[in-house]
Amino acid sequence: MNETYWRSLGELEDSPSFRANLEREFPEGASELPEGVSRREMLMLLGASLSLAGLASCRRPVEKIVPYVTAPEEIVPGVPLRYATTMPFGRSAYGLVVESHEGRPTKIEGNELHPTTSGRSNVRMQGAILGLYDPDRAQHVRHGDKDATWAEFVAAWAELEKKHLEDGGASLALLSPSFASPTRARLLQEFKGRFPKARIAIYEPVSDENVLAATALVDAGTSSHPVLHVENASVIVALDADILGNDPEDVRQIAGFAVGRRAAIDGKPMNRLWAVEAAYSLTGAMADHRLRLQSRQIPAVVAALATRVLGGAGGVDVPGVEAKWLDAVAKDLKDNRGRGLIVAGPGQPDAVHAAVLALNAALGNVGTTVTYHESANAALPRRASLNDLVSAMNAGTVTTLVILGGNPVYDASADLEFAAAMKKVANAIVLATHVDETAKLAGWSIPSAHFLESWDDAAAVDGTLSVVQPLIVPLFGGKGATELLGLLATGKDQSGHDLVRQTWKPILGEAAFEKRWNRVLHDGLLAGSATAPVTPNIDRQASSKLAAGTANGIEVHFRPSPYLHDGRFANDGWLQELPDPVTKLTWDNPALLSPATAKSLGVADEDLVTVTVRGVSLTLPVTVMPGQADGTVMLTLGYGRKDAGRVGSAVGADAYAVRCSAAPDVDTATLVKAAGSVKLSPTQEHGSMEGRPLIREGSLEEYKHDPAFAQEAVELPKLESMWNEKTYDTGHQWAMTIDLNSCVGCNACVVACQSENNIPVVGKEQVRRGREMHWVRVDRYFEGAPEQPRMIFQPVPCMQCENAPCEQVCPVAATVHDDEGLNVMVYNRCIGTRYCSNNCPYKVRRFNFFNYTKDTPELLKLVQNPDVTVRSRGVMEKCTYCTQRINAAKLDARLAGRPLVDGDVKTACQQACPASAIAFGDLRDPSSNVVKTKADPRNYALLAELNSKPRTTYLAKVRNPHPDLAVS
Amino acid sequence: VRHKAAIAALTLTLSGCGLLRGCTSSQPPIHINPSMDDQPKALPQAASGFFYDGSELRLPVEGTVARGELREDDAFFKGMGPDGKPVAKIPVTVDAALLARGSARYEIYCQPCHDARGDGKGILFQRGNVPTSSFHLEKIRAYPDGQMFDIMTNGSGLMPSYKWPIPPADRWAIIAHIRELERERAEAVARRATP
Repeated sequence: MNETYWRSLGELEDSPSFRANLEREFPEGASELPEGVSRREMLMLLGASLSLAGLASCRRPVEKIVPYVTAPEEIVPGVPLRYATTMPFGRSAYGLVVESHEGRPTKIEGNELHPTTSGRSNVRMQGAILGLYDPDRAQHVRHGDKDATWAEFVAAWAELEKKHLEDGGASLALLSPSFASPTRARLLQEFKGRFPKARIAIYEPVSDENVLAATALVDAGTSSHPVLHVENASVIVALDADILGNDPEDVRQIAGFAVGRRAAIDGKPMNRLWAVEAAYSLTGAMADHRLRLQSRQIPAVVAALATRVLGGAGGVDVPGVEAKWLDAVAKDLKDNRGRGLIVAGPGQPDAVHAAVLALNAALGNVGTTVTYHESANAALPRRASLNDLVSAMNAGTVTTLVILGGNPVYDASADLEFAAAMKKVANAIVLATHVDETAKLAGWSIPSAHFLESWDDAAAVDGTLSVVQPLIVPLFGGKGATELLGLLATGKDQSGHDLVRQTWKPILGEAAFEKRWNRVLHDGLLAGSATAPVTPNIDRQASSKLAAGTANGIEVHFRPSPYLHDGRFANDGWLQELPDPVTKLTWDNPALLSPATAKSLGVADEDLVTVTVRGVSLTLPVTVMPGQADGTVMLTLGYGRKDAGRVGSAVGADAYAVRCSAAPDVDTATLVKAAGSVKLSPTQEHGSMEGRPLIREGSLEEYKHDPAFAQEAVELPKLESMWNEKTYDTGHQWAMTIDLNSCVGCNACVVACQSENNIPVVGKEQVRRGREMHWVRVDRYFEGAPEQPRMIFQPVPCMQCENAPCEQVCPVAATVHDDEGLNVMVYNRCIGTRYCSNNCPYKVRRFNFFNYTKDTPELLKLVQNPDVTVRSRGVMEKCTYCTQRINAAKLDARLAGRPLVDGDVKTACQQACPASAIAFGDLRDPSSNVVKTKADPRNYALLAELNSKPRTTYLAKVRNPHPDLAVS
Repeated sequence: VRHKAAIAALTLTLSGCGLLRGCTSSQPPIHINPSMDDQPKALPQAASGFFYDGSELRLPVEGTVARGELREDDAFFKGMGPDGKPVAKIPVTVDAALLARGSARYEIYCQPCHDARGDGKGILFQRGNVPTSSFHLEKIRAYPDGQMFDIMTNGSGLMPSYKWPIPPADRWAIIAHIRELERERAEAVARRATP
């Protein structure tokens, strides 16, 4: 317990600027009144009209009541309904339950029945609701630069179609993103039947095609998708694979991983995670042993492991890696046959995936920790198909190009020059969410309907079928990809509802179709539709075919943004302002370098650097990232959009510019320091807590020896209060625990809280001043040497102290305690002295320096939770334990005439958490989960020595190092 | 001197009030501290500047099914049997609690037209001479309960649909109450007929 934790390199080095920040307690500007006119970027950008509020605001606003003309039977105004639906994301399907207030969706949660989410959610799902109400969405069908209508497009297509039907579609091309949907798969087949000569390209800028290449099924043409069952794995080896962070199936995998972590607490064998990676990821942070290694050395690691596990004469050594380390991994895998899991990242070449599959199969892991499911109903991504398409477009053999979503002008590799090729196509038809880079070049651009607006269906990776049920009619008359494909494939303009039902008739059977269909809509999935696992072709000699990587030059990685993905969510303010889980940066995508690499280049944080890949250069700022492999640079995709919208345009640098279609995942670059620097907006050093034992962790051995190690980490003085302390012994007494052993730092809680509690977005400059508004932050600490540190996360919401220091200094009693133990904010009383924030030892209070919501466009008003106050300027705010949910649950229970039971109230963060790390409930209910977790010997309070008596406490983290490497 | 000043101030204030009295203004009252009274969010039944009909209230998309709104039990939710015909009897247990609930709901929703005894001589008939059915007609007594449910759900003649304000369980409670009214009346008539 005597490791030194540090939060950033500045702190470790104790630099003068860090000391200055620390002494100020808030970074420069955070506690100052705004001087002059500050650039309130977000407000200006989102301000639809700068209404002259001067005189009007002196009068009480006029509110009109506009009731339903014909009220629907199931809606009681003010009482939300919930609908099951599905969010398709690539070939993943996220089962959702969406809260709807009077027919307007307001909050997204996971569907507890769906295998992908099982009631949990991730950042993308939470952010999708803001995407629906994005005022920058494409709003009209456009023909050239004129507004048109869907009917005009249908008529124009009928003309075009005639020509293409004559020659079987020889000059017709279809470009689609990857999908897994029974209806779209059926329509794609019909399209192929109708236009047998048409060219079809399936392109995803962030593609897992290397994984699929290794898992082809015996009958060629189809492939199978691996589904990881992390919950069954005792030993997990992640090779450049961020299975707990940047992965479409993150929710399922984090949930499974947390099961294996918690096993230690229940006295069962705890899982062990090994990670080999170039740049720090969430998976690396959770690993019990992490090795930083250039990505091109991964094949050598696989070969070395294969030799150790399977025998034979393969490679044994990896340059720069201790043999002891590899021995330990191999031993661990062999000791846990059938309970091990080796995963390679999608950026690794086919050969690595084939070798990993062979290794997993030889260890008996296939079928238990990883199963393969046939990719039926799926269009699999193939980057080569885009290359072929571009050649055809350049050759002039494509006269009509239909783009069914995606944004190739922005996200195709720069060397393809997609925009130039697109200009050679006579009729470019684009379905786009925004008038983006691609839609601007289109002859016809059609606004794409959001998944919350359209009928569609999806198949999860394990084959589970579900329907995408709309929550609202399209706000801007958009069309779903299914509807456009339906028009192309059948020549008839059919509604998505009809198309999906046609597909589902044979699935559900004609008899009792309506009843079954309604059940599918109600539940959000077709129960029992998961497909049986298949066995892919296994190449037993795969590991001998691994090519050793070249090690010349600096290795450059392209990773999708953990939040914006390939750039499609760039106009989502919540996701832009969400701190990167590892770098804690907002609103930017600097190049990440290891401390040694940065030093050799002579650059530091915020300095500009020019990255040159195959003759193309990109200049962007640098962030020095401890724990990154030397000689690597990490670039994040999804930023630098030109036409994303008012929020996402011109944020960060466009890494696609230096991405080459020949090596889209890992390439070689040269780096030179460039003149100048750029200011970045990290949330990292804000509110530092002076190195006190905030996070407590121990090894499994320590835990077994002394389960209460965390409580003994600090010797508490006799805690005496200056006040007569209130005993909270009646009614409900709310409390929370956060299990640091399960938390992977994914930030789902942060966005869930933002969505539930109407938390504003403040913009890059305000974040830099330390004025971000997130009610729960996820602190990230490093421990150990800066070359190879460990990383650990701690979510910090309001602690709801019983002896709250904030309450004692408020001059107007705006923050007070209620009799259920909540530290409540009375917004109307708050006069903005900010004394409370100064006196809060946990720094969890947030202040509205501006009226961030003053110029909210009409459309964005709809995303706000009607049950939560939208705060104004000069008001302090903070986590309320979702008091609106507590009250709603109490009302429901009273109306039903039953007592409130454990689980009736779920806070937004708790409900979202994929790892189930958060427990919330009533301390006076002995059967409640929170009482059980508080009784865990790992339970400790943050800064308990202050006698603030926080209601939120933490459960210490337990690591599980391998006995052979215990010192490491 | 202080007295005088105070009296002068008071007089001025009162006369000021007096002068303003009776003056009407089309503008809402002056409101110095906004105090988050008007928040940029969509409240139930509020006006909207976004939707074409000016209301925040949206209709659910046709064909969608909300959680807990599966309504698989046709007898209960539509008053219809498996043969597609109205069910003969109320598909829930009729007990004192249901009758009490039905009586209370009846008073709220039915009594203004149908009157307390179900004769169709409610206030609407008295004042507006609106023809309203009596529940004691032979024809209506012979209606299967499912048909009564259908009339309440979808309306009939001048009677509008009551499916929104009255949830299905309450509709059945009201039907139970109506049947009770009919039974009481029939018994009373029978008592009178046999001296």
